Parts: sequence; C-alpha cells; structure tokens
Amino acid sequence: MAIIHEGLLGEMKYISKSFEQKHINGLFAKDDMLMQKIAFNLIYGNNNEVDELTKTALDKGYSANDVLDDGLISGMAIVGIKFRDNIIFVPEVLIAARAMKAGMAYIEPILSASGVEPKGTVIMGTVKGDLHDIGKNLCIMMLRGSGFIVEDLGVDTKPDEFMDAAIEYKAQVVGMSALLTTTMPNMGRTIEFFEDNGIREKFKMIIGGAPVTQEFAEDMGADGYGKDAMECVDLVKEMVQTK
Amino acid sequence: MNGLKVIKVVMPSTNGKFVVIGENIHTTRIVLRDGKRHKTLQNGDEIIPYIDNDGNKKNISVPDWFKKTQPYEQGQIKHFMIAVLEAINGNEKTQRECASFVHSEALRQISAGADFLDVNVDEVSYKLDIQKQAMRWLVNTVQEVSTVPLSIDSSNSEIIATGLAEIESTLGKTLINSVALERLEAFDLVEKYDTKTIITAAGESQMPTNDIERVENVLRLLEEAEHRGIREEDIFVDLLVFPISVDGSFGMDYLNAVKMLRKEKGDAIKITGGLSNVSFGLPMRKIINETFIKLSLEAGADSGIVDPIQTNLIKASSLKLDFEPYKLAKDMLMGEDEFCMNYIRAYNAGELVVK
Repeated sequence: MAIIHEGLLGEMKYISKSFEQKHINGLFAKDDMLMQKIAFNLIYGNNNEVDELTKTALDKGYSANDVLDDGLISGMAIVGIKFRDNIIFVPEVLIAARAMKAGMAYIEPILSASGVEPKGTVIMGTVKGDLHDIGKNLCIMMLRGSGFIVEDLGVDTKPDEFMDAAIEYKAQVVGMSALLTTTMPNMGRTIEFFEDNGIREKFKMIIGGAPVTQEFAEDMGADGYGKDAMECVDLVKEMVQTK
Repeated sequence: MNGLKVIKVVMPSTNGKFVVIGENIHTTRIVLRDGKRHKTLQNGDEIIPYIDNDGNKKNISVPDWFKKTQPYEQGQIKHFMIAVLEAINGNEKTQRECASFVHSEALRQISAGADFLDVNVDEVSYKLDIQKQAMRWLVNTVQEVSTVPLSIDSSNSEIIATGLAEIESTLGKTLINSVALERLEAFDLVEKYDTKTIITAAGESQMPTNDIERVENVLRLLEEAEHRGIREEDIFVDLLVFPISVDGSFGMDYLNAVKMLRKEKGDAIKITGGLSNVSFGLPMRKIINETFIKLSLEAGADSGIVDPIQTNLIKASSLKLDFEPYKLAKDMLMGEDEFCMNYIRAYNAGELVVK
C-alpha cells in the first residue's frame, strides 16, 4: 500500500510529522491511480481536471462515497496541513475549495438521491452585534468542501435565531464566530440560551474567530474551538463522530 | 524628547499632510517568540528588550500566566497585553515598569511619523470592567509622554467613553475610532467631548459588499454628522480595507470608493483605512502594503491607520510600480491576478526581492 501517483508522492515532502505521514499514506492505501489523480489535482486547484476526473470515476462505476473520501477529502487533508505549515496561503486554499466544489457538483446529487446520510449538518453564524464574516465564510466553504451540509445564518445572529435554525435544519453542530472581544460574550449567552431552553445537550456548540481561544471556549462552556478554517473542519468531524 | 527625530510625513501626491493614525498601541499586537525582538535568558526567563526614553536598556519579562495561553503556545507574545494586564493587576513598581515600556513605544510611533496614537485594549479581556480599567490606565500612561493626540479605539462605545473621560490633553482634539451606522451613539461622544472622529463604511446589519455600498453608508453618516453640527474637518472616513487573499475585488472596492467619495466631498474630509489589512493571508506583506499605500494615495486617500514603524510611508509614496515585485502586487491589488496566483508563484520562485 502506497502512493503511486508521482505528483502526489512529491507532496509527501511537505508533511513533516511522522504521524501525519502515516495518516496520509493510510488515506491512499487503496493504491488507486484515479483517486490519487483527483486528490493531486484538487491540491493544485485544477478545477477542470477535478471536474472531468470525478465524472470519469463515476462513469467507471466508483461509488460517489468512495470518490468523495478517497479522492476529494484525502486531497483536502494535504491542503490543510500545507496551509497550517505556511507552505500555501489563503488563495491556494480557496482555489482547492473551488476544485472541490467542481467534484461535489457530481457527488452531491448522487448522495442525496440515494439517501446516503450527509457527513453532518452544521449551522453557522457570526454572533449578535458582530458584522464580520470573512473568517466564518472561509469555514463554511471548507466545511462544504469536506462534505458537510452547512446552513449559513449570516452575521449579527441572535441566540433565538441560532436555536430556531438548529432545530429546523436538524443540525448536529452549531458554529459561532466573532471577531470582536466585545461580541465574544454573546457566544456564551447563546450557549446559555440553549441551556435555558433545555436543548443544549442536543447539539455540539463550537466557536472560533481571531480573538477567541481554547481557554475562552472552556470558560463559555463550548464543546470545542478551532483556530482557523482547516481546524474548524477537523473539529466538526470530531464533533460528529463523538455525538 | 531626548533628541528623537520626528518625521513629518508629507506625501507629494496629497498636496499636503498625510495623516498617520499610528495603530501599534494595541493589545492585539504580537512579537514572535522566534523573532528578533524576543530573547530567552540562560535561566529560561523570556524577555522583550527595549530602550527606554532615557536611553537605558530595559526589558519586559514574559510572565508565567502568559506562558499558559494559546497565543504563547502558537509562538506569539502579546507584549502590550502583558504590559497592560501586569500594570492593572500589579503594584506601583510594576506599574512604573509597564508604563516605561508603553512610553517608549509611544515615542517610537511618534518619531516614525504618527499624528495620532491609536489605543485599543479590547483584547485584554472579554469582560467590560477589565477592558475599562485597562483603557483608563493606558490612556493616562500614553498621555504622560505623548506629543500628539490620542485616538480612542474600541468596538464598544462604553469603552471609548471611558477612555475619553481620562483625556487631559492640550495636544489638540482627540480622535474617536469609530462611529458607524451600527454604533451611532458614538456621535454623542464626539459632541460631548468635542473630538474628531473616524466614521466607518460598515452598514447597520452587514459589511458593505462593494464600492457603492461603502460610499452610501458613509454619506448617510456624513448627513447625520452635519445634522449634529459636526464639522467636516473633524471627520476621517474609514472606507474599510478587506484582505485581497479572500477576494480579488476587495482592493478595487476600497480604491474605487476612495475615488468616488473624494469626488463627491472634495478635500474637506480626510479619507483613511486600515491599509495593511489588505495583505492578510499572504507572504511578503510589506510589498503588498507599500504598493497599496501608493495606490490609495493615487486614488485620493490622505490618511492611513497604519504602523509607521513597520511601514515606511515616504518610501511607499515614491514607489516605482513598474518594478516587478511591486507590479505583481499592483496587478493583484487591482483585481488582475485571480487567486493571487502570479504573486504567489513569484514568491515561491524567490522573485519577490526588494531593497
């Protein structure tokens, strides 16, 4: 079991931690050239190639779920590590997300028609009093790119709007964002609002934003914190698994 | 002033003075643990050395409580946050030490060309009483040495009011940062304390999505200001700079809005912006920032909320934009480099070399 696509093999030089090398190698353990081609083209944001290769794979009889997991999401895992380690920058993540979207255009309709459960449903908004949404929008793009259904509640989202949406969309995860220390306490107030209405335990509640920290997340009684869009994806995966 | 040389930033393209709102006295500011300004002593203590205003070598040490925080684990020292929190929790001696550090940073900003010192304590805590306490201490400490007016910066009007109440300055009008459609009550403070103010182009319920929305939001605020009898010469307009890494149109959104507003209002008002925001998420930020300052000047901006120590404004104003690294940055900032790919390619190839 190994990576057989030469370009993809070249990507391994960017993965410095041995446990991550092991993880990435595991993702490509099926030795499938086509899936590895999809992953490689996704990493470099070649959306036309990802579009064509995804279509080819489905025509050849690969299941939508396999293309998603073994091609698209595995490619995105490498993007995440390269971004964290400053090897690539924000625009390169966005371009990879665009390629992901090209592939998802084929995958999504198949998954929803065949009744395959989505990986999870997340509602996400910037908290009350805060109009900043660049970071939140990056998170949403990356989550959608990773196969999650995301309902975007926009900015200045009041606690009752979070609650109504969480119930309406049957979300597993409620994501809150704030860029201001003066609006950060509204994350805690939203969590309290869920508690007061007796539905706190039904949802995982996670937070993020430039001034937010792990300590603050713990103070507020949140279930998790992500420092950027890539960590947000890992966190949501973890939340959905432990649910 | 101990022989500090004060630079007056006169830009050829503004027919006068470019007003620098020095943004470095912020509790968000960081020093990198592996950077030049940080030292680890043999006994393991970590310090940020600095030269005080009497020329003595001093340092602030990184306290143990900070070493347990996430920024520290990510390699960042928030030196202003440390100074402010140590001061408001410490004894008189600690307060004097922290004040000495703030004094030195204040004069460094002024000697690099700051016309206002922007003070912001929002990040010391999410608790309002601590934020207010921090603002009181910081305003009083900065005004002990400052030769320029302060700019009181917060996203909460109550914190701004707390800062304004401490001002004892005869240095000229204080600046408020900022009034917005979502924060109209801050206009009351402009009147009460007879200040200058920044007004931002944010909408009531969302950020502007293009140049026209920016100008529309600002014109509504200017109308309100006029209605209240606030003079145009006391107004700075922040037309909101967003990162080009996120959307290729963000540079032109700002630059076009500057042009439109300048045309609409003439030279009466100052047009400003947090110009270094534009480079967030990209490498070699200085090249991008200096290019964007040059483009902003050409569009008609005559102020910037910038760190004058990090950004050489005089150099920026005379940049040769046909020189390859700056040309790449210019194309990117003008929306002609999709996903910043040419710029990033040049960075990866080691071609972004400037003097």
